[in-house]
Amino acid sequence: MSEYEIVDHEHDVVVVGAGGAGLRATLGMVSGGLKTACITKVFPTRSHTVAAQGGIGAALNNMGENDSWQFHMYDTVKGSDWLGDQDAIEYMCKEAIPSVTELENFGVPFSRTEDGEVYQRPFGGHTLDYGKKMARRACAAADRTGHAILHTLYQQCLKYQAEFFVEYIALDLLMDDNGKCVGVLALCMDDGKIHRFRGHQTVLATGGYGRVYFSCTSAHTCTGDGNAMVLRAGLPLQDMEFVQFHPTGVYGAGVLITEGSRGEGGYLTNSEGERFMERYAPTAKDLASRDVVSRSMTIEINEGRGVGPNKDHIFMHLEHIDPATLQMRLPGISETAKIFCGVDVTKEPIPVLPTVHYNMGGIPTNYNGEVVTRKGNDQDAVVSGLMAIGEAACVSVHGANRLGTNSLLDIVVFGRAAAQRALKTVEKGSAHAPLPKIVTDKILARLDKVRYSNGDVSVGEVRNLMQNAMQKHAAVFRSNTSMKEGVQKVDTISKGMDNIGIKDRSMIFNTDLVEALELENLMQQAIVTMKSADQRKESRGAHSHEDYPERDDKNWMKHTIMWLNEKNKTKLDYRDVHLNTLTNEVASIPPAARVY
Amino acid sequence: MAEFALPKHSKIVKGIDYPIKSEAENTKKINVYRWSPDDDQNPRIDSYTIDLDQCGPMVLDALIKIKQEIDSSLTFRRSCREGICGSCSMNIDGTNTLACLKSIDDVKGDINIYPLPHMEVIKDLVPDLSKAYEQLTSIKPWLQSKSDPEKGKSRKQSPNEREKIDGLWECVLCFSCSTSCPSYWWNGDKYLGPAVLLQAYRWIADSRDENTEKRLEDLEDSFKLYRCHTIMNCTKTCPKGLNPAKAIGEIKKLQLERK
Amino acid sequence: MQSKSHGVVHWKLQRISAIAMIPLVIWFVSSLTFSLINSYDQSIAWLQNPLNATGLVLLFGTLYFHAASGLQVVIEDYVHNEGLKIMSLILIKSLSILLGVLSILCVLKIYL
Repeated sequence: MSEYEIVDHEHDVVVVGAGGAGLRATLGMVSGGLKTACITKVFPTRSHTVAAQGGIGAALNNMGENDSWQFHMYDTVKGSDWLGDQDAIEYMCKEAIPSVTELENFGVPFSRTEDGEVYQRPFGGHTLDYGKKMARRACAAADRTGHAILHTLYQQCLKYQAEFFVEYIALDLLMDDNGKCVGVLALCMDDGKIHRFRGHQTVLATGGYGRVYFSCTSAHTCTGDGNAMVLRAGLPLQDMEFVQFHPTGVYGAGVLITEGSRGEGGYLTNSEGERFMERYAPTAKDLASRDVVSRSMTIEINEGRGVGPNKDHIFMHLEHIDPATLQMRLPGISETAKIFCGVDVTKEPIPVLPTVHYNMGGIPTNYNGEVVTRKGNDQDAVVSGLMAIGEAACVSVHGANRLGTNSLLDIVVFGRAAAQRALKTVEKGSAHAPLPKIVTDKILARLDKVRYSNGDVSVGEVRNLMQNAMQKHAAVFRSNTSMKEGVQKVDTISKGMDNIGIKDRSMIFNTDLVEALELENLMQQAIVTMKSADQRKESRGAHSHEDYPERDDKNWMKHTIMWLNEKNKTKLDYRDVHLNTLTNEVASIPPAARVY
Repeated sequence: MAEFALPKHSKIVKGIDYPIKSEAENTKKINVYRWSPDDDQNPRIDSYTIDLDQCGPMVLDALIKIKQEIDSSLTFRRSCREGICGSCSMNIDGTNTLACLKSIDDVKGDINIYPLPHMEVIKDLVPDLSKAYEQLTSIKPWLQSKSDPEKGKSRKQSPNEREKIDGLWECVLCFSCSTSCPSYWWNGDKYLGPAVLLQAYRWIADSRDENTEKRLEDLEDSFKLYRCHTIMNCTKTCPKGLNPAKAIGEIKKLQLERK
Repeated sequence: MQSKSHGVVHWKLQRISAIAMIPLVIWFVSSLTFSLINSYDQSIAWLQNPLNATGLVLLFGTLYFHAASGLQVVIEDYVHNEGLKIMSLILIKSLSILLGVLSILCVLKIYL
């Protein structure tokens, strides 16, 4: 093994990732007096939270509609197709109100109503009075809400002089003999040194893994590094079969057009010019929840009513909206449509297609952000020293399908919750137990293996194969045959990892090495996603099974959890869905048919 | 004196030419600045010819294609590929911009790609932006108010007040503007540069911020602010269509009103 | 010398002097062109008019002040060696004061 210079750091808490969740957690911890290190592979404001567009959900009731967090909770449970944990959902929807108000107080440049309050717009699946009519609940900063929130959180972190380690790629969790997480090992891209971060809590805020697919709205950096680290630490991932397809990714480029554009009055049409969503969702129409809209679009295309020369996409119309409104409320997507498809939204429709957008699954946690696993009969066993928040986590508040605006909410609420929890559980400045050298050595051996890999297949080739297999076999609609084939393909492709070769041998800003490490992370998640999908014999939320078109609450109202060993063999188990609420301020919402 | 000629080790030499292997009709030659800190070599220009029919429309697509298919050691930053994260700022065809927003078809002839000008290079197209980030921190870019908002309540802001920060808060911190400014080239250690001054004005213009006077006082410096000579490169180059020069002008106007 | 931390005064005076020079230069050039000064004696006579002398004193004052402040900016932009910079600035200031006073004295000498 090569000799690495190892730099040691001791902190109370180590946060991995500086997107919205990581920054909100860091902010809460630093302002509460915990010595916190925030490690990130990109400069904080480049994290993918920046690309969130439409809004953050909270029943602030600024639009005078008698909105309440109970309605928000109902919508979220229904949106999740009853796979969400209701205690966590209650927590999120209730805490949404103070959390978003706090964001405003931090300085987020929200758009405003005439009364000077935070502007709220309608969004898919958000309703009043338990589904009776659409609610205006998405607090928006034009159509760049994620940008507004991410930059503001970074600014607040600067205010409290948070300690950032920028362009460090986390390699693996440091786990002691008792299965406790005691920190993380990272590679500094700037100088190629290895940094060992010790923390009493390690918080994974590493985001989703959209890049296992060929076409996704996710950034190139969305490789789910935290999820893969958890798998390698011998812990399971939960509900990985649930991958959200956003109805309106730009055809071809895959970049996102916010649901907020339909919230502002945009609608979809097929080749016959028909507003087909009226058939599939008579009440919510174009603002039904995302799985419903994506499925409807796919059916339209499959039945030959797609638009374009190949009849393979759908049009989204904004040209009927007043140009001044578009300029004020949707300036970003007007620009995106112009740049990526040459469309002037005031005159022509935008060509769109359901595109991979969000991972409902991830690291199982409780509503405090603590990672949990199943140990025998204890299905909520807390993993000591480890937390996960944001898209990396599966709390689970999104269940089988996430509602628009609930991802920004998730990161803020649970980032904040993790900080509050750490402030309670971590003793400031307490000593770190010594760590056996073997823990670090094992991780460095894995690094070396990738670093000196000299096979004849490039990282790009293997990644392409994996992405295409996932795109084909874990799509909007799935079937037994297709998924079986997918499991086999991914298995074969993953073996190709042994033959990869990288060209750049240097240690300074070696993106060739980083991309290979990221591919390894992606591959492990691809295996777990494909296998989790293959075993779920029902249709629920984003998992649409052609051979089992109905939801089966009797057998399948449970979370999938899946482990992966060093030989890429999986182990499957389940956790019960928490149907109980957190307090008696609201009653548990019983499963019902999902009609929009 | 300011250095007008490149130091000896910075002279750019001709690098490797990667001709296209397949028979493609629609090709483009892309010349990319390469430099690695690990050897003692001078920087060089490598040339890659790619098939445009097998490539996405943006310059970033071409770079990713090169990294994926021709030369995986090519190093550049990228993330969102939709012009919102600000990672892939570089000098393309003589202009600082975001590679993900720059269409290949917009460039006549070969595409020449360099890192952002006048910044230290870490490797290839990756500049060291740490100084610029420090300057951002130096202007205290966070909401400062003397009065706390009513507990559990948002601060109020009318749509008109809110409109005053449009065109300011949207900055993605790509530093295309600062690194296109000759004044920042010569005095980047003391002059804050358009990107950071735009952020400074973002807070001055925000009706919720109550520390305007102190902010203006901190900026009233012949170097931090007044190295701006209204050259306007910043506004011309901004890939997001923002107007940092106007923001700086507004700060200067407010400085006049103070005195 | 302009202190580093007070840019606005310098910036303002530079602009005021620039604006002030617009009418002064127009007046001066048009005087020279239209007042038919053909000989030494005519020039002396022109300068002995109190209005003309006042105008010229103002023009010289503004001109040298503006030149000095402009050159100061150029030196601050490009000269990064601290010692060299201070020396250049002192030189510029002294020279402009010297030339300015000299020019004004010449006008006054003729006028008086």
